[in-house]
Amino acid sequence: MEKVKLKLLYSDLRPELEMIEKELEVAVGSNSLLLNEASLHLLQAGGKRIRPVFVLLAGKFGNYRADVMKQVAVPLELIHMASLVHDDVIDDSEMRRGQTTVKAQWNNSVAMYTGDFILARALEYITVIEDSKIHDILSTTMIEVCRGEIIQIEDKYKLDQTIRDYLRRIKRKTALLISSSCELGATVSGTDAETAARLRRFGYFIGMSFQITDDILDFTSSDEELGKPAGSDFIQGNITLPVLLARQDPKIYSHLRNAVGKEMSDGERMEIVKMIRNSSALQQAKAISEQYLDKALKELDHLPKGPANKTMRKIAMFIGKRKF
Amino acid sequence: MNDIQIHSKITLMEIDVLQILHQRTLEKYTAGPSTDRARLFFLLLPFFDGKQWSEDIEDSAKTVAIVYAALHAHDQVKEASPVSKSQQLTVLAGDFYSGIYYRLLSGTKNIRLIQLLASGIISVSEKKASLYENTAMSVAGVESAANVIETRLLSIYYDHYGLSSYKEIAIPAMEYVYYTNQLDFLREGQKTNLLHKLNLALPLPLYSERWILDKLDELHTQLTDVLDSHPMDFRLKNFLLHQIIPHQHLAEQLTREG
Repeated sequence: MEKVKLKLLYSDLRPELEMIEKELEVAVGSNSLLLNEASLHLLQAGGKRIRPVFVLLAGKFGNYRADVMKQVAVPLELIHMASLVHDDVIDDSEMRRGQTTVKAQWNNSVAMYTGDFILARALEYITVIEDSKIHDILSTTMIEVCRGEIIQIEDKYKLDQTIRDYLRRIKRKTALLISSSCELGATVSGTDAETAARLRRFGYFIGMSFQITDDILDFTSSDEELGKPAGSDFIQGNITLPVLLARQDPKIYSHLRNAVGKEMSDGERMEIVKMIRNSSALQQAKAISEQYLDKALKELDHLPKGPANKTMRKIAMFIGKRKF
Repeated sequence: MNDIQIHSKITLMEIDVLQILHQRTLEKYTAGPSTDRARLFFLLLPFFDGKQWSEDIEDSAKTVAIVYAALHAHDQVKEASPVSKSQQLTVLAGDFYSGIYYRLLSGTKNIRLIQLLASGIISVSEKKASLYENTAMSVAGVESAANVIETRLLSIYYDHYGLSSYKEIAIPAMEYVYYTNQLDFLREGQKTNLLHKLNLALPLPLYSERWILDKLDELHTQLTDVLDSHPMDFRLKNFLLHQIIPHQHLAEQLTREG
């Protein structure tokens, strides 16, 4: 339902998004029956296509040509898809978006080759563009996203990490790819440098707010809404902002200290979830998320008014208020 | 160029690649990037043979070595569950190395090579996946998979720099190295998808070892024939035949093993 609501916000882009969807289908076509099946399985699981949306919207601030914009929008979504299929191996996930994951349907090796194949397709696709600036932005982003994920694994179960560590991690893990989507859309459509920089910062702030909201929802949503047990991040050792804020209470800290990294029953898990819910941590986290959102909206204030600006604003507001 | 100089150059390139790919956490928890010396030798072969060499070609050679390292990392991901920290980081190592090769080529504005290598990775991934398919594969299919997996990226690099004439040497030699590794796995009782497909393609599974030994003989003969008529320096030929693919003829192997 939430996904439908979000898609309604950018219904103006429907013709372009339909074209991108078709291109994605062609792009994941393979001579290998297995890769073909695995990639289509992944594609059909759907998704919000938020990265292509940001590419297209950012492009509206420049010399917008749908056929040029798709040269960036399609590979960005492919890179995201490739990272998801590998992430499912990392997290040992059986389900994603209500469908079995590639690793669950086939095995880890097939998931690895599917991800490599899709990533290579993305690079094959985007190298139609010869402007090396585009490739500098994207390649740097890919490296930083990986660094973010590496740090996330390194920081697992570390209850004593700083909030700065957390923010730096989510910047690389989530915000950078959204930020780059906006910057690439702006660059490929030939906007001036200041507009491109503002759009990059807009994407960064939105990405930060989006991830913090995601981390809050892990505690506030029900198991059914999330499609996984509430508090899963903590169980998996991912120490997110609500936990970092809640641990400031010595009693909660002591409880978390005893629980982190240990096998937990459903009852014990729910006890942690309730403790976080009853603390002020979620409100504080929400306030931080809103600060990022405000910064994103301020960037839009300095950009030319028009339908793209309006849609970006609506998406930003939606991200701030989403329920799951 | 003598043996010591060749070894030194390969070592320098290996050090460069390892430095480029260095990442503290990956270093600590994974096996680290794979830099196969035989592969580095073939990436540098035109240089050893006195061909005109530039920083650009050498940088590209390093990126090809990095692509191989990226794909190799993902070959190391096993089916174990729950996933260990080492396994999680091995997945990320492959992705990280891919990002590095992309950035290096982007930095030198070699967009065409990024595209060509990407198409090569597509072919390699498709062939690797084909070894997991349930459908039967002929012996020719197995040979084609081995050829693409091991040599496609190297061929792309040679073609891109107008060095295609080295393919007739490098392809049989790299295949030789590949089958030698498969033979070692077979003898150690390790299972690989290629050996599995080969077993199914041959009339009797026990023929696999004999088939690989015959294949090694065939590749060695092919290579010595090419080298006989190649104007390459004899010391370089010797290095290749004795240090990269030290061959033991089938008859010798069978005698040795009684």
